[in-house]
Amino acid sequence: MTVDRAMREIPLIGHYDVDDVLAWDQEGPRTVRRFLADAASLAESLPDRSTVLNLATNRYDFLVGFAAAIMRRQMTLLPQSRASQTLLRIAGEFSGSYALTDRGDAIEGIDSVSIQLRGDQALWPMDIPRIPTDRVVAVAFTSGSTGRPMPNKKTWGALTAVAQATGARLGIKAGDRLSVVATVPHQHMFGLEASVMLPIMHGLAMHAGRPLFPADIRSMLADAASRWMLVTTPLHLRACVSESISIPPGGLILSATAPLPRNLAQQAEEHFQAEVHEIFGFAEAGSIAERRTIDGDRWQPLEGVHVAQDASSCLVQAWYLPTPVPVPDRITVDTDGTFVVHGREADQVNVAGHRISLGDLNQLLLKIDGVQDGVFFLPEEGASLVTRLMAFVVAPGKTSEEIQRTLRAYVDPVFMPRPLVCVPSLPRNATGKLPRESVSELARQWLEREGDGA
Amino acid sequence: MEQSGASLLERDLAKLIVQTLKLKIDPAAIEPEAALFGEGLGLDSIDALELSLAISQTYGYQLKSSDPQIKTIFSSLRALAEAIEKNRTK
Repeated sequence: MTVDRAMREIPLIGHYDVDDVLAWDQEGPRTVRRFLADAASLAESLPDRSTVLNLATNRYDFLVGFAAAIMRRQMTLLPQSRASQTLLRIAGEFSGSYALTDRGDAIEGIDSVSIQLRGDQALWPMDIPRIPTDRVVAVAFTSGSTGRPMPNKKTWGALTAVAQATGARLGIKAGDRLSVVATVPHQHMFGLEASVMLPIMHGLAMHAGRPLFPADIRSMLADAASRWMLVTTPLHLRACVSESISIPPGGLILSATAPLPRNLAQQAEEHFQAEVHEIFGFAEAGSIAERRTIDGDRWQPLEGVHVAQDASSCLVQAWYLPTPVPVPDRITVDTDGTFVVHGREADQVNVAGHRISLGDLNQLLLKIDGVQDGVFFLPEEGASLVTRLMAFVVAPGKTSEEIQRTLRAYVDPVFMPRPLVCVPSLPRNATGKLPRESVSELARQWLEREGDGA
Repeated sequence: MEQSGASLLERDLAKLIVQTLKLKIDPAAIEPEAALFGEGLGLDSIDALELSLAISQTYGYQLKSSDPQIKTIFSSLRALAEAIEKNRTK
């Protein structure tokens, strides 16, 4: 079975007619015909390298770059953030990498190629490229405890299998022609799977933009030419519910990156007359399970995914994963294979849907010139949309502004500490360890002294 | 520290920003012409979203990033206050 699957080829896109709309935005529709020509033409002009950082901000441009790279057998690198030092470090580990951009913004130290859309419709008829399922087409990065981004290779078989299984679970059929609007970045693993791979495997249309404000989401969904699907996060969904935006009923909402509270899902289902489904996944394995949030806590593994629990850990198995992958959260698996998620492993934090290890952040802090000691801390959730990290730093002679400025080049903005507090020392114990309770106490004292602003 | 020539709306808005985003600064220390995002106050897109909800609730103005002026609107306290003045419904 495995051998048979590994030998297969799957077309670059599925279930479209040539004049179907593959993407749209305020500049109009992009048909399948136009997309294939754009991708073929860009593929011809790409440099002869083996890896590419696709930094395109427009989802259609990203897809054209991704497809062109696949045609040229180049792996697309998906950095967790655009912080310049992260990009440089990844480009350093995959030597010979270049960057694909669509706004002409160059990254110092990395060769950049601007995505030119020169699709000439006269190229038609052309064949839809068929890609072997065992070819590595993308590399997603996760944070480890070493302070170095860890690469996770994704084969074409893995990406297409997840897209097919997700579509099947959501009841999406070829010919449904949903219009997909996504608030998540396409360089994020869930974004790539749900806002790029899911649409192109099922013949759906995607909006090329990435709405931020509820009013943007409202106008994009209202413009959709067919039944809409919103690929989003609890954060954006909360904003839409809080603004009570009015959109055509009967759509489909898919949320991931952080657990969606059931009452929020309930409000969204009632207000938008739309089903709200959630995906559970992580960059190392991709999407692995789904649930309709109002139905309960249990996650149903996607077709082909098996979650096994032994005494010390939980592992995900699927034919497209070369080895079983440990689940980064604490979960309990039932005899029927469904599971419940209890929370993150101790070192992992999730800020606005982005996961990172505190160990990784602490390592970065300690690398800053003049920093003698330092620790990140995530306070208990408050009333705001997002609870931010705090950091306590021992750096005589340095100001918190100076440290923040350096840190900004290394971490995604969502992980920037608020505040970064300079202290004379950290409450390390006799063995040099810094127990979480001590940091928690330090944070409590600081908040009590400074007030929390609100 | 007193803001140089800050209008009443600018002062109210500075308070709303500090309160909404839990910034550890004196609202009066936000210079009307200084950058709010990136290097300035170091705000990011989640702050923009959070701020947009507060502005909508307080002034009845729904921000849109498809607005061609959006970069200008978010460039400073003064620009944001001007946009609110023009579009507010309460």
